[in-house]
Amino acid sequence: MNLNVDRDDMKKYLLGTLDADRKSQLEERILSEPDVYEELLLTEEELIDQYVAGGLSGVEQQQFETNFLTTSERQQHLQFARHLKRYVNSHAVLVALEEPSSVAHEYEVPAATGRSFFPGARLTRRPMLGVSVAVVAFAVILFLCWHVRKGAEHVPNTSGSVAAVVPLTPGSTRSSGATVTRVQVPPKGSDVKLELEIANTSYHHYQSELLRENNSLKTIGDLKVEAKGEQHVVPLTIPGELLSPGDYQVRLSGVLDSGADEFIDNYSFRVIE
Amino acid sequence: MNKNWVLSQEAFDALLDWLDPDREQAGIKYEQIRLRLIKIFTGRGCSDAEDLADETINRVTTRLEEIEKEFSGDRTRYFFGVANKVYLEYLRRKPPQLPPWPPSDSERIELEYRCLERCIEQLSDDNRELLLQYYGVEGGAKIEHRKELAKKNGIGPNALRIRAFRIRLGLQKCVEKCINL
Repeated sequence: MNLNVDRDDMKKYLLGTLDADRKSQLEERILSEPDVYEELLLTEEELIDQYVAGGLSGVEQQQFETNFLTTSERQQHLQFARHLKRYVNSHAVLVALEEPSSVAHEYEVPAATGRSFFPGARLTRRPMLGVSVAVVAFAVILFLCWHVRKGAEHVPNTSGSVAAVVPLTPGSTRSSGATVTRVQVPPKGSDVKLELEIANTSYHHYQSELLRENNSLKTIGDLKVEAKGEQHVVPLTIPGELLSPGDYQVRLSGVLDSGADEFIDNYSFRVIE
Repeated sequence: MNKNWVLSQEAFDALLDWLDPDREQAGIKYEQIRLRLIKIFTGRGCSDAEDLADETINRVTTRLEEIEKEFSGDRTRYFFGVANKVYLEYLRRKPPQLPPWPPSDSERIELEYRCLERCIEQLSDDNRELLLQYYGVEGGAKIEHRKELAKKNGIGPNALRIRAFRIRLGLQKCVEKCINL
């Protein structure tokens, strides 16, 4: 489809901010060119998805609510997009790629943890940065040596490389095996980041317990809530080494300012080969 | 023209003949024009876009004899000029207010979601997989992920976009039917 239609113009048109001349030209093409009309429909759905995912800027969000959501049909499409997002989130099949180097390429890798610790060529151009990195690396090695000797942890730690980001909605495993969120075993040396959707964000912080068949595997505390689009999630990184095929559960609790904790919900997922 | 004027079968047939000598093609063109006019009026913030689209078509139909004599060119574009006039008149009238958002009904929302689940189960394995893969990644990784997915499916990124959109459109129709059952 070679439309010669600026997608940005189409977006502006839908948000009601395209100037009058271009708007008129575009409308004429919408009426007479089937491909331009289809592009309008596509952009409309993508704009709705962006809104649902929280991907619009503050101004665009305002324009979307004021100028776009003007008909019941569009309001229904918005509701449909929310349902679709919910469905996709609860049925995520995150396929790990064969090449570990391309894992970060395919799935969301948080900037703070996803980058290589030794950025290679960049260091040769910036020697001071190289020295700083070497110092930090040395400190990390010292810390790791101390940590291993101390033997404080009996479970694996996160590796810093996230193979997959898995959104989870609260609730127990559904009776149908087809509806539980499935996650593929991550490649060796990488982790899985869970995003636990929550409604109550009033706690000081959160803590979680990872269980497999009622056996506690790991407890992670001091978790913070993050806004994600219209929702709130508690991100939780699970070391890949803890995950092998089977059913898992995360018990999430909220910690009040007083220090007392309250159970919030369970989140289930299945790890597959 | 009286905007409540109703299109008679005779007038409608004349309109179809003007749009295309092939009756089936003419019917398709009529539907396309109507849907696109609705989109245009919606884009202009008209809450009663369907009525305005029908009014535009009715107005073209009533003047068909003159138009046939005077107008040559893309017939679809003729509707655009009439739509602009209809829109200006609409602006002069007091536009009806959009009814307030209905309060969110949790039962209705749950019904819609169950319908969506059912409709997705009816998709072919390939389409279900494509849907989950296409919409499964958000944020910064989305663009690269979709490029990879297109490559895996042996099609271009825009063809994949259209394919995912058509699956989605089919699901929307399926959910509407399911809710009304």
